[in-house]
Amino acid sequence: MAEWFNSLRLRLRALVRRDRQEQDVQDEIAFHLAMREAQLRQSGAADASADARRRFGGASQIRDELRDAWAVVPRLSSLLHDFRHAVRALWRSGTFAVVVVLTLGFGIGANTAVFSIVNAVLIRPLGFAHADRLLVLHEGVPAAGIDRVPFSAADLRDVEREVRSLDGVGAFRTMSFELSGSGGEPERIQSAKVTASLFPLLGVESALGRLFSASEDRPGSDLALISWALWQRRYAGNPSMIGQSILLDRRPYTVIGVMPASFEFPRRGLRFNSEPGDVWIPMAFTAGELARRGSGFTNSVIARLKEGATLPEAQSELDVLAPRLQAQYPAWALRNRNAQLMLFASPLREEMVGSVETPLLMLLGAIGLVLLVACANVANLLLSRAATRQHEIGIRAALGATRLRLLQLQLSEALLLTVAGAVLGVLVARLALNAVPAVVVERVPGLHDVPIDLRVLAFTAGLSIVTAVLFAMVPFLASEGSASFEVLHESAARTTAGLRRHRIQSALVVSTVALSFVLLVAAGLFLRSFSALLANDRGFRPSGVLTVSVALPTQAYATTARVRGFHDSLLGRVRMLSGVRSAALTTDLPLEGSTVAVFFPEGADTGGVAPPTRRSWVHGAYFRTLGISLRRGRPFTDDELAENREVAIVNEKLASRYWPGQGPIGKRLKFGPPESNIPWLTIVGVVSDAVDGPEALATMGDDRPVHVYEPFRQIPDFVLANAGSPGRDLTLAVLAQGDPTLLARSVRRELASLDAQLAVASIATMEDKLNDVLAPQRFSTALLTTFAGGALLLVSIGLYGLLAFVVAQRKREIGVRLALGAEPRAVVRLMLALGGKLVGAGLAAGFVAALGTTRFMSSFLHETGSYDPVTFIVVPVVLAGVALLACGLPARRASRIDPLVALRSE
Amino acid sequence: MGTDSSKAADLLQGTLELLILRTLAPGEKHGYEIAEWIHVASATTLSVEEGALYPALHRLELRGLLTAAWDVSANNRRAKYYRLTASGRKRLKETTDAWRRTSTAINRVLEAI
Repeated sequence: MAEWFNSLRLRLRALVRRDRQEQDVQDEIAFHLAMREAQLRQSGAADASADARRRFGGASQIRDELRDAWAVVPRLSSLLHDFRHAVRALWRSGTFAVVVVLTLGFGIGANTAVFSIVNAVLIRPLGFAHADRLLVLHEGVPAAGIDRVPFSAADLRDVEREVRSLDGVGAFRTMSFELSGSGGEPERIQSAKVTASLFPLLGVESALGRLFSASEDRPGSDLALISWALWQRRYAGNPSMIGQSILLDRRPYTVIGVMPASFEFPRRGLRFNSEPGDVWIPMAFTAGELARRGSGFTNSVIARLKEGATLPEAQSELDVLAPRLQAQYPAWALRNRNAQLMLFASPLREEMVGSVETPLLMLLGAIGLVLLVACANVANLLLSRAATRQHEIGIRAALGATRLRLLQLQLSEALLLTVAGAVLGVLVARLALNAVPAVVVERVPGLHDVPIDLRVLAFTAGLSIVTAVLFAMVPFLASEGSASFEVLHESAARTTAGLRRHRIQSALVVSTVALSFVLLVAAGLFLRSFSALLANDRGFRPSGVLTVSVALPTQAYATTARVRGFHDSLLGRVRMLSGVRSAALTTDLPLEGSTVAVFFPEGADTGGVAPPTRRSWVHGAYFRTLGISLRRGRPFTDDELAENREVAIVNEKLASRYWPGQGPIGKRLKFGPPESNIPWLTIVGVVSDAVDGPEALATMGDDRPVHVYEPFRQIPDFVLANAGSPGRDLTLAVLAQGDPTLLARSVRRELASLDAQLAVASIATMEDKLNDVLAPQRFSTALLTTFAGGALLLVSIGLYGLLAFVVAQRKREIGVRLALGAEPRAVVRLMLALGGKLVGAGLAAGFVAALGTTRFMSSFLHETGSYDPVTFIVVPVVLAGVALLACGLPARRASRIDPLVALRSE
Repeated sequence: MGTDSSKAADLLQGTLELLILRTLAPGEKHGYEIAEWIHVASATTLSVEEGALYPALHRLELRGLLTAAWDVSANNRRAKYYRLTASGRKRLKETTDAWRRTSTAINRVLEAI
């Protein structure tokens, strides 16, 4: 301490008298050179001055070194010197540097990739003005099992008028249109109806032209805003598009504006109406819509809190308003007083990213573990290297380098390695982000544009610095207390410093084993969960089915007779195609989610509440085509498909819930109040519980929703008259004899011959659709498995490295053992025992850590407990097996040491 | 790590601190005198560039093992003279002892073979 204080006093004095100090150094060197020169001249040298300088060495370099020695804080010149030294030292040890940079590149790259996703999805602002004040409003009747639904027009109008803490309310709902007219072939596009208040509320302006005015948000106003992308793609960015008309479902609309390129709306991730559109038209609520209570819950609502108002204030106002709205509902809509209508407000941001937040943060945690493993590995490599470099370090210490200076040297080497790793990492991240499958990108809001921006780079830089400090400190701490003289001894490796280093290395290996245990268990649980998901009984057969979706515009199909005529002709033609085993039309495919409606099962106890059910309409041999098996009764007959016979087929779930223990065939149900003149439907068959909706894929047996199927013929005419109604939006399903994709061309030809202008919205096999639905789970499982695999690889490299090092260090001892007649096998056993001890400790620690961690995963696991015994048995076996392999190689090499060579070398 | 001969040179260089302390044991000297003294005492074994001496001297000064003062040399020039401090003397004794122990051990081994 006194030594340090003394040195600081001297340094400070030198700093204060800087000129004097400089002069002293100059004088001291000049004096030396003069003395040497004089001495050389006396002994008869030809050029005494040059000789003196040569013998002295680089004077300017010495001056720099002296300046550094006296500096209070380490100077740039010494840092540069250290970096030069580090570059040279690393260059000489090629393999070491390559292994370290690759390890760090993998670790930092994966972290950068995951963080840039977190940044794009969770951190990046929504891009709306006052985004923190934007709310999403929902209605719901939790007591009747209706959790949250969008708003009806009438209820929306009341919220707009009555809720004081909101200073703006906008609504929208998505629909699809056939876009035709100028600019190319007819195509199906996504679109949204929006209230005139919506875009100003979000703070967006049009890039070209103008937005709708409030007075234009009226029925009969045929105006449209188009997206930048559509404008560029279809209309070649022609500015004269403003004022031109386009055909939507063969009806003309006048384009009044083009929205900015960055504008995406509706946003993905919203619970309802979340498909981004290319065209926006005025919402234009009709008087009928505004008067109708208790139905038409289709309008998503975004509202803005007044400046200074809070979410609880808005919520309590909504709580007061809800019963007043309910009082205006017709009797049939809510018959039970206990089933109260509720209004909910939640922040827009939470609604959009709430569901992906936890999985993303979990992923970030997992990849952080991988980086820790990578760090531990690199620290271990550095330690092994430090052991072989002890001599160099010793000399530096002997020449008076301070501990701080040595640390600086090691840090600069670490930083150099990390910077190389980070550069590689950013490249790795860029490539990794490109590998995110498109279907996953579509599901997660913000994922379509994941930039490696300044925030991500700052994260990477910060991460790299922490990484460098982490793995540079370990060897430094390991070297603590090793006096300079001690390390000059040739036998240094077996001194206390060597032992200490060995202990730290062992601890590092144990922790990498433990960390990868946790990662492997996480990956194992995901794999188990995913295979359970694949093995899940979906209640339908996806193979061999081609699906084609179309929508019939009201302009060309003005009458319901024309629509029904199209149904029959399409089905008739497709059925006759060669290679078609059966064909059907439907309003909703399994996986896609059907309409929800409330119904009354006759004679069943429903507690006075009309329960909700999924409702689909089908035409043709639907159940046969989709492989939904008939459990009781019969499928619809040709008569029932041709005429309205007031029949229904229900799923097993519905039959067993409302008529348990009774034969459901012949029972009746009604979509409307029992006393109304809406017809009763007679159940003629019961089918298996087919999954309905992507989220339903993860739910098994008991969680499946109840479902009612009716023939197309029973879609009421007043429903079929509207654009976008079930029956106008329809999907053709074809069961092929062989490969269903081969049918695509002939099906398209039949469609074109029926209506050349009709745009096909989508054409895909059922298996593709299933894969798309499973893509997020498949992706996260693949990601976690890759992480765990990477960690496993790092662990085996680490184990191999440590044992190889130990073998090299104990070469002599092993040589002696072998010379004294030890069996080579005993040497192998000795080495394996050494590795085994570490692996065993790591497995034990990892087991405990994994038990503590996996319960956080339970909500993502399907049919798999977070303490799944199979995973917890397989993981240690795999890990131990890989570890054995990694230890085996150096162990074998140890047994082949030639005793003579080993003894002679020291 | 280089060849055996460079190892030997490293080892000798590593003792530069010890040699400086030893050189100053009889009394104060300036840098040139120290260089000469080491050069003469070790015959030709030490091929250190003379300049390398100064960083070592300054570090020892900063560590308080030496003190330095400017004075006038024998030929009437300003020169910086170095002298051992009390802790410098202590350090010299410690390192000399350690060195002797080591070399004795090495010699024993060498004689045994």
